[in-house]
Parts: sequence; structure tokens; C-alpha cells
Amino acid sequence: MFVGAIFFPLLGACISGFLGRWIGDRAAQWSTVACMVLAAICGSAAFGQVALGGHPLVQLIWTWMDVGGLEVSWALRYDTLSVVMVAMVTFISTLIHLYSVGYMSHDATPARFFAYLSLFTFMMLMLVTADNLAQLFFGWEGVGLASYLLIGYWYDRESANRAAMKAFIVNRVGDVFFMLGLALTFYIFGSIEFATIFPAVEAHAADRFLGIPAIELIGVLLFLGACGKSAQLGLHTWLPDAMEGPTPVSALIHAATMVTAGVFLVCRMSPLMEYAPVALTVVTVVGASTAFFAATIGCVQNDIKRVIAYSTCSQLGYMFFAAGVGAYQVAMFHLFTHAFFKALLFLGAGSVIHAMSDEQDIRRMGGIWTKIPVTYAVMWIGNLALAGIPFFAGYYSKDAILEAAYAAGGGAAAYAWVLGMAAAFLTAFYSWRLLILTFHGEPRADHHVMEHVHESPLVMLIPLIVLAAGAVLTGYLFAPLFIGEHAHEFWHEAIFNGPHNHILHEMHEVPHWVPLAPTVMGVAGIALAYVMYMAMPALPARLARMFSARPEMVRNLPLIPAEGAEQQTEPNPGGLYGFLLKKWYFDELYDAIFVRPARRLANVFWKVGDAQIIDGMPNGAGSLAVEASRGAVRLQTGRVANYAFAMIIGLVVFVSLFLFVG
Amino acid sequence: MIWTLALPELVLAVSGLVILAAGVIPKRDTFFPVSMACVGALLLTAVLVLGQGDGTALSGHYVSDAFSGYMKFLALAAAAVGILLSLDYNEKEGLARFEFPILMLFATLGMMVMISANDLLSLYIGLELLSLPLYVIAAFNRDSGRSAEAGLKYFVLGALASGLLLYGTTLVYGFAGTTNFDRLGEAFSALEGVSPGVVVGVVFVITGLAFKVSAVPFHMWTPDVYEGAPTPVTAFFASAPKVAAIALLARVLLGPFGDLVGQWSQVITLISLGSMILGGFAAIGQRNLKRLMAYSSIGHVGYALMGLAVGTDIGLRGLLVYMAIYVFMNLGTFAVLVSMRRQGRAVEGVDDLAGLGRTDPVTAMWMAVFMFSMAGIPPLAGFFGKLYVFLAAVQAGYWTLAVVGVLTSVVSAYYYLRIVKVMYFDAPAGSLDRAPSSLTLVMAGTGLFTVLFALWPAPMLAAAQAAAAALLG
Amino acid sequence: MTPAIMAMGGITEMEIGLAHYLTVGAILLVLGIFGIFVNRKNVIVILMSIELILLSVNLNFVAFSAWLDDLAGQVFAMFVLTVAAAEAAIGLAIVVIYFRNRGSIEVEDISTLRG
Repeated sequence: MFVGAIFFPLLGACISGFLGRWIGDRAAQWSTVACMVLAAICGSAAFGQVALGGHPLVQLIWTWMDVGGLEVSWALRYDTLSVVMVAMVTFISTLIHLYSVGYMSHDATPARFFAYLSLFTFMMLMLVTADNLAQLFFGWEGVGLASYLLIGYWYDRESANRAAMKAFIVNRVGDVFFMLGLALTFYIFGSIEFATIFPAVEAHAADRFLGIPAIELIGVLLFLGACGKSAQLGLHTWLPDAMEGPTPVSALIHAATMVTAGVFLVCRMSPLMEYAPVALTVVTVVGASTAFFAATIGCVQNDIKRVIAYSTCSQLGYMFFAAGVGAYQVAMFHLFTHAFFKALLFLGAGSVIHAMSDEQDIRRMGGIWTKIPVTYAVMWIGNLALAGIPFFAGYYSKDAILEAAYAAGGGAAAYAWVLGMAAAFLTAFYSWRLLILTFHGEPRADHHVMEHVHESPLVMLIPLIVLAAGAVLTGYLFAPLFIGEHAHEFWHEAIFNGPHNHILHEMHEVPHWVPLAPTVMGVAGIALAYVMYMAMPALPARLARMFSARPEMVRNLPLIPAEGAEQQTEPNPGGLYGFLLKKWYFDELYDAIFVRPARRLANVFWKVGDAQIIDGMPNGAGSLAVEASRGAVRLQTGRVANYAFAMIIGLVVFVSLFLFVG
Repeated sequence: MIWTLALPELVLAVSGLVILAAGVIPKRDTFFPVSMACVGALLLTAVLVLGQGDGTALSGHYVSDAFSGYMKFLALAAAAVGILLSLDYNEKEGLARFEFPILMLFATLGMMVMISANDLLSLYIGLELLSLPLYVIAAFNRDSGRSAEAGLKYFVLGALASGLLLYGTTLVYGFAGTTNFDRLGEAFSALEGVSPGVVVGVVFVITGLAFKVSAVPFHMWTPDVYEGAPTPVTAFFASAPKVAAIALLARVLLGPFGDLVGQWSQVITLISLGSMILGGFAAIGQRNLKRLMAYSSIGHVGYALMGLAVGTDIGLRGLLVYMAIYVFMNLGTFAVLVSMRRQGRAVEGVDDLAGLGRTDPVTAMWMAVFMFSMAGIPPLAGFFGKLYVFLAAVQAGYWTLAVVGVLTSVVSAYYYLRIVKVMYFDAPAGSLDRAPSSLTLVMAGTGLFTVLFALWPAPMLAAAQAAAAALLG
Repeated sequence: MTPAIMAMGGITEMEIGLAHYLTVGAILLVLGIFGIFVNRKNVIVILMSIELILLSVNLNFVAFSAWLDDLAGQVFAMFVLTVAAAEAAIGLAIVVIYFRNRGSIEVEDISTLRG
């Protein structure tokens, strides 16, 4: 059971990947789905035994090497923390596999797609069940690879390749920090096994590395690694671009699972983080800033998937600052509920895109809610949960996060609480903006598209409905376990709270208005969106003009697309609106700071260095190496006499070395 | 005189003679059956090696221990694969003469004698028994000027090297009074100061052996001979004899001359540094794959010798693991090289691989695996080989070696990855002929080893550990 | 030989000892080595140089054997002689096929493989 949950996806990936050509696309698809169903059953059973039954265990797979006292085993660590992830990942992945059967039905190579998808699931499971940092890193790189393959799945699209490369490179930046953290951990603790590290943290609490408290440094490095994978401020730029991948991929990888790996890492390292208050403050500040920052951008984006992507970014910020104030359980809870409703939103968006003949710009949608009622309904549920409206899943977790931030006290937590409240407002606003623009108002698509608007097939609707049920129920059902009165038995030592950390208790004793505030913010956000987009549709454009430097460049909202014109090169109207529209100019900033200088430098080297000889190696060290190579080769004259001479010279040098130095 | 201990060598020698006789008599073409018989004899010998006990025999000239078992098994496996590589190539190039596998078999016998040598005399006999057949098969393509030139160069320089080795042997014999390894060891551990005559002798011996492993500065023959010799011969040169020569070097230096470690260690360090640097840089500009592989093998020998320079049991274990991994990925690479033909004509340029990723994805995949492994990219086997020797160097405080090793492996990654780039991103230069099944078999076998080594490294590590322990006592 | 005659010839009494043999051996070795890489003419000269090296080795072995009063050196020399014969045979064979292909055995010409 414990092994099955992990390896069924791998089996599915192998069947589909290697045998797909022989057994045909249909068989490949359904065999991966079957494997995923088995994995989900195993995962749920494991959840029952480990988390509900309270029996954490370590499952040995095999002893990798056992030589000269060094024993490295490959084992699966099943405690509540990992089993929550295993159950969630297998369950959601199964639904997404099922959905993909419908969504990818017109694709040319579905077997490849399903192999990647299952491979990703396997890697993610490896990551969460790791019992040492190296194995975790293996899974970490594995999901990165699978994500790269899936973003670039439509490799004939230039933009998809570009986005895949970007995701890969930005993630590498994060990985560098992760590796540094890993190395430092090994240096300090002499081990990378969790079982060895965690009990030793207290003993090493005062260790220093280069004058910096070592535990703090490890915490910050690992968090920076997590930032790359979880798209936190600074390293977030790849996530919106990753939406170039097929929509089920966005739902699985860039909403429900992979991007939450960073949050998982911070929670997994809770015994270490608890002794690193500065690192936790960094986590809090970065998380809160991301939550707010991404939400502001989400308000002006026009691509349906990008809006949801920024929303993901923002929600991940919530999880991080929850962990930052010490409420790891709450962070995990939000991670859990978020997986359901965010996957739901993405799959719903996929269903819309499917219906609209692959249109993704919400300015060219509208007026379709009667035509695709099921999608419409599930999108409502998803958005209600996201906005934190009472009794939907997000309400429980997001409220808890804000309560924890309020209860934690201190400057960083207060900062997080304020930004969190603002982000809650913005979240509700952009959610309803999305909902209204997509489904209501006059149809803004041309009539060819409108004629084809149709509800998705059943194989896509079933996952939507199941996820919608999850988005409604998971909060209510699991809140007592994750963060309520049973939390202690539920987590069962999987998460460590320092002796001074009573956040779980304190968060229930905040003033009465605090739990209510996020709901109020949410409702206010919805109301504003309703006013702006439903009641007075002219208002947004007017506002946008008001906050632009060049108002004439803002187009009116009921945008009638020019025939065949692609809207990729959008003019930048400047001002605050332009600032948000261009995502705080992060891409431009990076372009100016890193990409362009690097390219210019490379160009210089390319021209200075010998471009004709070293094809495809544009840097200075390269030409140096080629020079060295030529020098070495010039010695190789082809003459026996010279060769013999070289041997004798070597002999003489060594003899004299022996006699006069040694 | 316990001659039964040397049973594997005796069986191999006798079966070589029998196969030779059997090959001469029939009028028909006997290349294929003789090859198969040779492979069979090698495998039989390998089985006998596995069952061989420990001890010395033949008046102390011959020793058998875990170390010799490990190295012999490796050499036999490499030689058997080497014969498999030649099957198809020799048929197509008109080299299908039955002497070819038999020469390889006798060369392998020479390797075994070298590996089990416990006396300077058996060392010399083994070395010559290895060298003489190699001179012949380097020049085996009698109608090719390049092959003849390769053979001639190899012969001249090889004879010079064995002359130097012999001269060193005379000095060691004269100043230490014996040629037996055990007694030499006793003599050196008893001596207070070592006479300069012995020291000079040891350097001469190192020179002779360094020539065989083609370490800098005794490497000069390697690129020319590798390029000129028929490709399966090159594959053989780059694998089995290297194993034997490295084994001999390790046995000689750590056994009888073990007490002089302070003196020879710096020589081996220099050789290792030079080989790594040359192997890293010289291959960059190469357009000919065989030549490129020659420089690559020089670099790999540098890495392996790093383990010997360290002189500890961890270093030796790293060396043993490195050699095993090197041999397999090298044979795999050469299987790809041997299979390269366009319209029936053998080609060997880097550019001839262009577009292989599209025209022959399976071969390209294996080639990519071998290239990544040679570049030392995890989780392939090559990475672990490098890891163990680097770890040993760092542990023993040989920082220069470790740093240069890491830097040169980054440099050499360039030319390995360029091959991958050419295969997958360059426009196809016309498709290559389909690889024969014997070669795809070798590719798949060695490729799977390279890929899966990371999963079960334990058996090999344990064997290497035992071998290292046997040598260091 | 009387001391008077020796004095007349300017020769002092002298044992031919180990050192002399070794010196001759070393000279032969150096001659052989130089023969290989100073020689620009003919491959046959190289083969002869190799024989010279092996000769010096054998001289050393026999001298040491006598000096140590140990037979192993002479046995070794026997083996070296045998192997040298085989080596010479193979060397000449290779030179023959080289000549057949290139029509020349000039040392300078043996350099088409290089770089």
C-alpha cells in the first residue's frame, strides 16, 4: 500500500511512455488513469492509517549502498505531513488524468503527455515521502524536469519553448540556494537524514558558519530554494509564463502540487525553522509581500489562466507567511484546501477555453453562462472558496491564516496581517472580475466562436464536479483535524512547534472581529467587482485611464477584436495601471539587469573570441580552452622521434624530481 | 609448485592454441566460429577466475587474490565485448581473418599474467605477451597506410617503453638483489635510506607502465594509433589493456614499492594532473571521433590515477570502481563508433553524427547516455566514478588533484555535450546505416549498466573494497 | 703482464668491476634512445636502436647476476633475448606492410596521423 501509492504512477508512466507506440493512444491513456486510480486508493488508505490512525512509519525500499560503514537506504517516510500530501497528490492527479482524457482528445501524441503527467506525479510523491534531503532533492529536480517537459509539451510553439526555458532557468536559480542549504546542512550536522538532523538541531543551535548563525543560514537558503519552486516574489516570473502548457498541467503542477513543494519544504523543516527566528521573519515578509503583490497584478490581467496563475502565486504567499509565523499546520491546511479549489478553477478555465475554441482572453468572452451551466456553476464554487466566503473550503484556511498572523504579534506578523487583509479584498475582486467578464455581459467573441460554445464532455465534467465537492467540503470536514481541537493527535509529531510557540492555541483566542474581517473584505471585493463590471461597465476603463500616463492607449472594455489581430504586443499605457498590467515591471527589470547584459557580454565574447571555430560556445573561457587545445594538439606532430623525445623528457624530469626533490 | 592455482591462465593459453590449430586446418572462412570460440574461452576463463582461490604459485611468480580476481574479470569481460565489436566491422572491411580474435585472446592472456604478476619477470612476460599481439592488430588492416602507420608507431614507441621498463628492472634487481615482489617489499621496509639506483629504477618502471595506460607525458602515441587502427581494435586498446596496465601499476607501486610511497606519489600526481589537463583541453578541437576518444581516454586515466596518487584504500577503491565504469561506458561508446557507416563505408567524424537523434533515435539515445556519463553527469555511472576518486583525494588532502579534476571535467563536458548537441540539434547529414544486432546488443548492455549503476552500486563497491583490501593487506 | 709494461703503456692495474659494466650499459641505453629520436633517416635504424637498448639491459642483468651471485638475472636475460627475437620479427613485419602501402620507410614520412 505504501509502496504502491508511490510506484503505480511510475508504472503508468512507463507503460504509456515506452509501450504507448505499440498499445495505442487509448490504451496508454486509460492504463495511466487506472494506475493513478490504484495509487489514489493506496494513498487514501495510507492517509487513513497514518494520519487518522496515528501510525507514522518508515517504509524501506532497498539499501542503496552499504560499504565500509556507510549505509544509504532508500526509504519512504510516512508521517502525517507526507501522507496528507500523498493522499492529496494522488487524488487530484487522478482527477486531472481523467480530465485530460477529454481535454487532450484532439492532441497528436497523448501517450507522451500522459507519460509525462504520471512521471510528474511519481516525482512529486518521491519529493513528499523523502526521508532525507538528498531524496527530497531528487524529487525536487524530478518535478522540475517534468514541469519543464510539460510546459514545453507543445514544442512547436515558440512561446511554449521560451516559457519552458524560463521556468527551467528561474528554478535553477532557486536550486542553487537549495543545494547550498543542503551542503551547509551536511556540513553542520554531518548527515542529511531527517531522523538525524531534527533531534540534533537544538545541540547545534549556537553553531556559526562564517560568523552567521548556521541554523538561520540553512533556513534562509532552503527558503530561497523554496521561493524558486513556489514562485515567491523575485523568483515568481516563470509561473505566469508556465501557463503556456496544456491546462491540465497548469492545474496539476502550477496550482495544486509542484508549486506547493516549497511550502511543504518549510513545513518539513519545521524542527529546524523553529530555531531560526530570523529565517522565519524572512519567510513571513516575503510571503506576505507576494500575497499582496500577486493579487494586485491579478486585478488587471486579461488572460484567464494568467489571472488564476497570479492568484496561485498570491495564495502561496499566504501559505508562506502562515508558516513564517509558526503556524505550519495552518499553512498545510491552506495548501490542502487550495489544491482542491485551485485545481477546480484551472480545470474550469480549461473547460471555458475548450468551449471558446481555445480563446484565453477574457475580454473576448462574456455571455456564455447559459451555454455552459455546469462549468459556470463550478467556477462559482471555486471562486467562492478562493475568496474565502463562509463555509467554503478557503474560508476555513484563509481565516485561520489571518487569525494566526494577528495572534502571532510582532512587526513582521502585523505587516503580514495587513497585506493579507488587503490581498483578501483583491482576491475577491479579481475572482469576480474574472467570473463576470468570462460569463456575463454581452458576448464579445465573434459569432463563429459563439456558435461553437458547448459544454465539455462528461469525462471532463466528472472531475470538475468532484473537485467542486472538495472545494465545498474539505474546509468544513478537515478543519478540526488540521487546525482544530484534534490537531495534536492528527499531526502526531510530524510538525514541530518550539516550546515557546503556542500559535495554534492563540489563534483561537483573537478578538471576535478578527475572524469576521476577511469575510467582510471578501464580500466587499465581490461587491466592488459587481459594481465595476456588471453595474457600470464603463467604469473600469475610466479608472484605468485615470491611472495611466498615456490614457489614450487604454482600450474600451467591450473590446471588439480586430479581425485576425493577435493581442500579444499590447501597448503599455504607463502609470499605475501600466505598472500593474506589466506585472510591476519584473520581467523588464530582469531583462535589463540580467538577460540583456548577459547577452551583450556573450556577444562581445562571441565577436572577440573565435566565432568560426567554436560554434555554439559564446564565451571567453571557451576560446581560451580552444587555444589550449590547439597548443596541446600542436605538440602532436605525428613524428615518432618527437614522441620518443617527449617520453624521454618526461622520464628525465621524473628521475630528477625523485633524486633532487623527493 | 601449486600450478593449479594458475588454472584460468593455463586454460586460456591451451584453448588459444587449440583454437589456433582448429582455425588453420579448414579451407573455409573460419572467422566467425573462431571468434565465438574465443569469446567462449574468455567466458570460461572468467568463470574460473571467479572460482579462483587466494595464494601464490609457480615459485612465487604468480599471485592470486581478490584484487587480481576483480581486475581479471574486468579485463576478460572487456576483451569478450571487444571481440563482439569486431564481428560485423571486420566482415565489412575485409578483415575477417581468424587470427584476429586469437591475437586478442593471447593479448588477454598477457593481461592476466600482468595482473597476477608477483615478480618483475612475470610482469615483463605478461607485458610483452600483451604488447606483441597489440602491435599486430593495430596494423591488422594490411591494405591501409593509416593502419600500418599506427602499427609502426605503436611498435616503435612500445618497444622503447618496454626497453625503459626493462632497464629499470635491471636497476631494481641489481640494487635490491631480487625481482620477487614480496622480497622486494621486505627489502624496502628494512632499508633505512633507499639507494638512488632503486629510485631511478622505479621511475623507469613507472615510465614503462605509464606508457601502456597512455598517461601524460607518455601518451603521445595514443591519438595517432587510435585514429589509424581499425575501430574495433581502438575499442579494444581503450578498454582491456588499460585495465591490466592500471592493475599492474597499482600492484607494483602499492605492493613492493609501497614503502616508497612518499617518492612515487608525487610522480603519479604529476602524471595524473597532466593527463587530466591534456584530456580536458586537447579533445576540444577534434573533428575525428576516434581521436577525440583517444584524448578522452587520456583524461579518464588521469582521473583514475588520482585514486592511486592518494595511495589510501579509499583511493584505490575509487580507482577500481572508476576503471570498471570507464571500461563499460567506453565500450558502449565504441559500439556506436563501430556501427557508424554511411552507404556501407565507415565514417568517424563528429559531423557524421549530425541529426542522429532523428534518423536513429535508439543509437543516439545510447550515445547521449555514454556522453553524459563520460562528462560525469549524475545519476549516470560516470558521475559515481568521478565522485569516488574526488572524495578520496579530498579526504587525503590532495586538494590540487581534486580541484584540477573538477575543473577539467567541466572543460571536457564541453566536447562530450557538443556531440550530444550535434546529434540532436544539427541538420541530418544523411542517415547512417542501421547498426547490426551485435552492436546494438553491446550498446544496450553497457548503456543499461551506465544508467542503472546508481541503483545497485553496492555489489561493485563491495568487490572493489575487497580487492583494495587484498592489495593493501 | 708486468707492472713495468703497464707503466710503459700508461695503464694502471684495474679490475673490470660492476661499475664498468653498468657504465657500458648506460652508454648503450643512451645510444639506443638517441638512435630513436635523433635519427631522421630510416626505420630500420630505429629497430636497431631498440635492439641496442635490449642489449644494454641484458648486459646489466648479467653483470648484476654475477655481482650478486644470483642466477635470476641470467634467467631474466634469457627471457629478454627470446622476447626480443619475437619483437624484432613483428617489427620487421610491420615495417614490410608499411613499405608496401607507402613505398617508403623514411622516418620523416611517418607522420600522416597527427593533430
